[in-house]
Amino acid sequence: MDLIKGFRTTFKHVLQEPVTIQYPEQEKPFQERFKGRHELKRYDNGLEKCIGCSLCAAACPADAIWVEASENTDEERYSPGERYAKTYEINMLRCIFCGYCEDACPTEAIVLTQEHRLSFTNRRDAIYTKDMLIVPPPEGTEGSPQQVEPGKFNRPIPDMENPK
Amino acid sequence: MVTNITKTVTIYIDDVSYQVPAGANLVDAAKALGNDIPVFCYHPKMSPVGMCRMCLVELGSIEKDRATGEVVLDDKGQPKVRWFPKLQTACTTNVSDGMTVRTNTKQVDQARENVVEFLLTSHPLDCPVCDKGGECPLQNLTMEHGPGKTRMNFADKMHLDKHVPLGDLIFLDEERCIQCARCIRFQDEVAGDDVLAFHERGRSLQIITNSEPGFDSYFSGNTTDICPVGALTTADFRFGARPWELTNVPSICPQCPVGCNTSLSTRLDRDAGGRAIIKRVMPRQNEQVNEIWICDKGRFGHHFSRGADRLQIPMTGNAPASLTRALQVAADKLKAAGSDVAVIAGSSMSNEDLWALKQLANGLGSERLGAWPPTHAGADLVAQVGVGKGTNLSALGKGDAVLIIASDLEEEAPVWRLRINQARKRGAIVVVANARKTQMDEFASETATFEYGEAPKFMADIEASDLGKKLAAANNLIILTGADGLTLVESRALMQSAANFLIKTGHIGKANNGLMSAFPGSNAMGLYYMGFTPEATLDIAQKPPKVLIVAQSDLIADDPSVGEWLTKVETIISLTLFNDALAGLATVALPIQSFAERDGTFVNGERRVQRFYTAQGPIGEATPAWQVAGRIGELLGQGKVKLSAAAVMLDITKSVPAFEGARYKELAHVEPQFPMIQKDVYYGGTAYENTGGLGVQIPTAADQGETLNVGEVFVPETPKVGKGKMLIIPTQVLYNRERTFQSSELMHPRVADPYAEINSADAKRLNINNGDMVEIAIAGASAIRVRAQVDGRAPKGAVILPRHLATNAVPLTATVGSISKVGQAAVVEG
Ligand code: SF4
Ligand code: SF4
Ligand code: FES
Repeated sequence: MDLIKGFRTTFKHVLQEPVTIQYPEQEKPFQERFKGRHELKRYDNGLEKCIGCSLCAAACPADAIWVEASENTDEERYSPGERYAKTYEINMLRCIFCGYCEDACPTEAIVLTQEHRLSFTNRRDAIYTKDMLIVPPPEGTEGSPQQVEPGKFNRPIPDMENPK
Repeated sequence: MVTNITKTVTIYIDDVSYQVPAGANLVDAAKALGNDIPVFCYHPKMSPVGMCRMCLVELGSIEKDRATGEVVLDDKGQPKVRWFPKLQTACTTNVSDGMTVRTNTKQVDQARENVVEFLLTSHPLDCPVCDKGGECPLQNLTMEHGPGKTRMNFADKMHLDKHVPLGDLIFLDEERCIQCARCIRFQDEVAGDDVLAFHERGRSLQIITNSEPGFDSYFSGNTTDICPVGALTTADFRFGARPWELTNVPSICPQCPVGCNTSLSTRLDRDAGGRAIIKRVMPRQNEQVNEIWICDKGRFGHHFSRGADRLQIPMTGNAPASLTRALQVAADKLKAAGSDVAVIAGSSMSNEDLWALKQLANGLGSERLGAWPPTHAGADLVAQVGVGKGTNLSALGKGDAVLIIASDLEEEAPVWRLRINQARKRGAIVVVANARKTQMDEFASETATFEYGEAPKFMADIEASDLGKKLAAANNLIILTGADGLTLVESRALMQSAANFLIKTGHIGKANNGLMSAFPGSNAMGLYYMGFTPEATLDIAQKPPKVLIVAQSDLIADDPSVGEWLTKVETIISLTLFNDALAGLATVALPIQSFAERDGTFVNGERRVQRFYTAQGPIGEATPAWQVAGRIGELLGQGKVKLSAAAVMLDITKSVPAFEGARYKELAHVEPQFPMIQKDVYYGGTAYENTGGLGVQIPTAADQGETLNVGEVFVPETPKVGKGKMLIIPTQVLYNRERTFQSSELMHPRVADPYAEINSADAKRLNINNGDMVEIAIAGASAIRVRAQVDGRAPKGAVILPRHLATNAVPLTATVGSISKVGQAAVVEG
């Protein structure tokens, strides 16, 4: 009797749609809130959003982020305001993809994408540098650094929302 | 701020009664009791102004019957309190008997919240990019007392200049300034350089500098520590790291005899190959030494420790060699020389290094230990009649006196100058005696002059003069000497006469009395205790040894006459920080570690043994000098090299009586200090709490009642200046081109172009105008070209020639030479 019961379950599943998919030929859409590899964003004018404040590094529970800041000038401007990230590195072997860095960022510069295909053959390669993390400049802009009109970009956070 | 500890009064804070020192400031008193009254403008080192209103409290006093003096009781039998109708500022209140304070009521909370909200109305809220963020009083007090939400529209905020350089070193962010005037008051009250001011009024009020060049003060960096917001930041640290990322290592400034306690903030750095490097130098509280201040040389002069000119690998005969090989060559050379060996050690080497070098030389049978530079004599006298144990310059005031003789103190030991200026403000008599006018005159209550070379005579004869009588009658007397314009022999005579005067007038063997000297370097007293003397250096120059070990001394850059005798030395073994000219001449050049890379101790001018800790990763193959000397000793069969600096110190404490009680553990001892500088930056600023140790002061012979031996005073003849010749007076300036300062590029605009000051009468006679290029010729040295400065400060017949400004070496001590014009001011311009 038990034997029949058992086979019944088996046969039921044979007739169902399989849950496995043929990766990588087939890909499954991710949950909207899935967190993968980071990206450093830019403003529409090509300037970097990151101001090198290191708050992401401070928020990171795995101590995976390393930021070193430097000073902007109007001749060589990377980001609005006085400060930009000279060095920005994330050690992907350390990162636990919790997204706290994203929460901590005052300019929404660091964003976790859905990219999850990270593989390295040695430890050094797991350190993603700023060049690897920053998105390419929007079309038609020169990216960073750029020479800008003096005094135009003197606020680190361009638009602050008024209190409601 | 100054509290009378002997008398106490009863006050009530939040209904609890306390005994506090009578007359103490209410904020200080409450802080000591663990009640932090928030402040912005008040600072325990400055007089209160009551400008920010953050410290509002409910204040009252217990009512007493006018006629009987009895405490009036209310119907419940409790003492009746008469409250002020409105909140009062605690910072402008001194405690008195029966004072009643409430700090935890709704009204007080509301007041604090409102003050914070007002301060933030135009604040840019750019904490993420602010160097102060993370250790900012405004941030902390906003979190603690602020409203939590803003009601301001961002469009209504004032937009002001965010990048105003107040000079080369300090930047002002006008938006962040809360106009507490701490910076202005510090410059005026504490530093004595009144170079900052408020400009305009109301919302347009801003900080400006009224000096040329901007913010012209040796103490400017301290304003960034006490600024309660990020309005003032240094050019050096600018965006170097966030405060929470830094590791703070206790250290001692290696630049001058004051021995300021510092905190080296280090962080790993990508550009430095991932090593920990110094990001900034901050003051560390030691009330007896530097209080909570340091000068800008100490703060910004740390770059030499990672300078491109550091020697990284050992060299033998100018070719790179392995350390083992270089040490072996050194050992072989020393062995071959037998006892015909001598050591010259620099005045900023640590005691451990000096001790190991001494052991090495003694082991070879040599007692020839020279101190570099041989400019200031009389360290032995400081050991005998130096300022008594427990001396604190902050204790000097009314009825006390300080005589500063033959020293340009501001240039030689800035923080002493700052503290002595404060003593003068408290009522002490400060007499500045020198042959020339110096910046120091401005901080004197009285000045005296003498001819160049006459300083020893002036000191010897002072007793009979009115000035001498006044000094003798002072409650406490400190004599602070320099060697401005003196030869080594004259310097000794001056020290002896000063010692004699102190002994005769009874100003020895007690705190706040005795002799101090603005020796060069940070460990001149250590040189003395370890047996190195400037006299021995002169002897070495007279009779050059076969093998000379030169340790951390830039002989060639310091003294043009070394060439004469250095060539007679067969083998030079150089223990050096830098790849300098001497390293090139040396048979063996061994790279040693700077103060930042290793542990060690210095003895400051007040004979305080102070400990510094390892902060920065090593440079190349540099090793500590004590290890280098120890390993050479080991190769020579002198016993095993010690394993750590602490072990070397242990050896010293066993062998040198003065160092008894100066083991590393004892040097690391800390005690509570006033004002209480803790992690709460709102009160004292970002000067750091002392966790590394207060050091141990070596008692003088007079302190211990030993017999004193000043020795026969030999006052030499004033040198004859021949016709057409001038007296060349080498002097010291704080900002110069020494290797230990040169790597701090941000200071370059502040380092003067090479110049010489001459008297206008001489200038007229020689047809020299202000700004002309002149050549100074001295027998035995290559000519020195500098610009003439005809400013009436130099006495007649003398050329004031600062050392370490020109590329060519300037004589170590006063000498005779001639000056002539080689170019017009206008022609050579640019
Ligand atoms: S710059 Fe700083 S210390 Fe000076 S008034 Fe403004 S807030 Fe105060
Ligand atoms: S006063 Fe002297 S010891 Fe103090 S910071 Fe300046 S140079 Fe260093
Ligand atoms: S008013 Fe008292 S601290 Fe500013």
